[in-house]
Amino acid sequence: MKNQGGDLEKTIHPLAAKYLRQERMPHMACPGCGIGQVVHSTLIACDELALTPENTVWVQGVGCSSRITYTLWKGDNIDAHHGRIFAVATGLKLSRPDLNYICFTGDGDCMSIGGNHFLHACRRNLDVTAIMFNNGIYGMTGGQVAPTTPMGAMTTTTPYGNIEDPMDSVQVAMAAGASYVARWRSTDFRQVVSSIKKGIQTKGFSFIEVLTQCPTQFGRYVLKTGDPIKILQWYKDHTVTLKKAEKMTPEELKDKMLIGEFAHRTDRTGVVERYWDMIKKIQSERA
Amino acid sequence: MLKQECSINKYFVQGDEAIAEGAIAAGCRYFAGYPITPASEISETIARRFPEVGGVAIQLEDELASIHSVGGASVAGMKAMTVSSGPGISLKLEGLGWGIKNELPYVVVDVQRAGPSNGVATRVGQGDLYTVKYGSAGGNNSIIAISPMNVQEAFDLTIDCFNLSEIFRTPVFLLTDETVGHTRELLVIPDARELKIVPRRKPTVPPSEFLMYPLNTPGTIDYPYPNIGEGYGICVSPYTHTAKGYATTSEKDHDKMATHLVRKVTDHLDRLTRVQEEMLDDAEYGIIAYGCEARPAMEAMKKARAEGIKVGFLRPIIIWPFPDEPIYRMACKVKKILVPELNRDGQLSREVQRAAKGRAEVYHLGSGGVETHQPVHVYDELMRIIKGK
Ligand code: SF4
Repeated sequence: MKNQGGDLEKTIHPLAAKYLRQERMPHMACPGCGIGQVVHSTLIACDELALTPENTVWVQGVGCSSRITYTLWKGDNIDAHHGRIFAVATGLKLSRPDLNYICFTGDGDCMSIGGNHFLHACRRNLDVTAIMFNNGIYGMTGGQVAPTTPMGAMTTTTPYGNIEDPMDSVQVAMAAGASYVARWRSTDFRQVVSSIKKGIQTKGFSFIEVLTQCPTQFGRYVLKTGDPIKILQWYKDHTVTLKKAEKMTPEELKDKMLIGEFAHRTDRTGVVERYWDMIKKIQSERA
Repeated sequence: MLKQECSINKYFVQGDEAIAEGAIAAGCRYFAGYPITPASEISETIARRFPEVGGVAIQLEDELASIHSVGGASVAGMKAMTVSSGPGISLKLEGLGWGIKNELPYVVVDVQRAGPSNGVATRVGQGDLYTVKYGSAGGNNSIIAISPMNVQEAFDLTIDCFNLSEIFRTPVFLLTDETVGHTRELLVIPDARELKIVPRRKPTVPPSEFLMYPLNTPGTIDYPYPNIGEGYGICVSPYTHTAKGYATTSEKDHDKMATHLVRKVTDHLDRLTRVQEEMLDDAEYGIIAYGCEARPAMEAMKKARAEGIKVGFLRPIIIWPFPDEPIYRMACKVKKILVPELNRDGQLSREVQRAAKGRAEVYHLGSGGVETHQPVHVYDELMRIIKGK
């Protein structure tokens, strides 16, 4: 679905003018979608860290997360097959370790079809920043059940209700060894910006999950509303900060998603740094 | 370095090791793989050798990761390679489409083993001729595949694979097999200055004037490939693209892209036809074989010649695009052609049949693999078809 862009020249945000290809605007997101908010947060983070289109590459997978962000960035845009975003990013980063990589993935892309690559990107601590848009459903393909869809939810492929438990990507990322792990809602504007900045600055794999409202599919099928405000209210009701959760009972935490900063390790290097250190060592020994 | 024999540039090595050395000589500096017999010796040699030459060699979590990371490395400016066999090749094909569509120069080595499925993992087969050509869903491809018959060619043709991948901006297969991969024989590595190496071409025009994909002039080759971080704002994706790399759903754009991808190979068959021809001038009968099957085929030809039977031999070296023209010429000369190959479905013989256009009778000598044909098998079958029994 396309937004009505209006007179782009006059209305465009200065950060969009600085970083995004105007010939690719307006982007493809549905009205009320959370992805645009996170793109905005990403641009602020890029700006505050003085990243440039020359030294930063946007990498995508497949799904709403990726189709919307693809070819927006004025620099290089590398969009992988479905699920293969971290495999492609491994080749990119090992070959050009001097560049920054911001990877836009979705819950299906990252946790389902790309699950194995995600695990091993965390384990290798691949030095890229991954932003996972979690809309709880397959949006682009028409509202099918995802590994993040709540138990019991109606989707186009679970017409009798979802019988599977959702997966907690943050726990997976931490167990697999990512250096930086956080989860926020699209409306936690300041926190998302701060986490993306920390992610870019942290050595190793940074994983930032953002719960993004999807009025078109998740709203329609799971919550039975296309109203973004009602969907945001649902996220508000179903999320708890890490701090608050400390004082809550398991019973109270049932059906709640935790938000906050889960890991920020500065003691662990990643595969890219280690590989190039190894090469230097071997070559100096042979010299 | 490899262990040297007798003189400075002679080595007694396996085909798999020769492939690794060929890659290094060609300038390959990124390798990703996943363990699989009988291709693992390539990965192991590269794991040891690449750090010495400043290259990245990494074992990834699966076959998909390795081919996709090779695609990423290629976009990032590296000459890159991955290797596999059997079921590993089936998995790699998913990534291959991304490489074909985005015109990524890289090399995939398929050390064929006896299939289907895991088959006999440690033993030879030749069942992937169509797999490498047609395995990537969606068609509209521009596959180039080269097949060596011995250790020296494993080295030389690996270099050619890299060179062609740069010239044609496409993934190129080295289609070898377990027998060639595990045969240990003499390899001569020439001085680096004697080797012809094609470097990555860089655009000579500023980013504003550069189009990533030459879709307005379909069939263009020798076209530059800027890499990430060079200011060209390159766009690489799984979607049908415009000349700039933007996703499009227009039928016209899609057809432009498909036409270019196919024509960049079919318009340049002069540069992509390479066969070995033996004793065809006066031949009345012919044998066509590739890879490990070439040796028993040539032995059978020699035995028949010693008995005064006029037999000639042809071997596709570049096997995709298929050498239709030389095979048609051969078919116009000879009465019957025998095609020994290590599969029962008749892959090479079907292609030969097509290329011969009815000018000669084509006979398939198949086996499920595991062992190569013995010269005597080929000879006996040749005698049988000559006698018309
Ligand atoms: S389908 Fe959902 S996630 Fe996709 S663009 Fe529309 S609102 Fe956003």
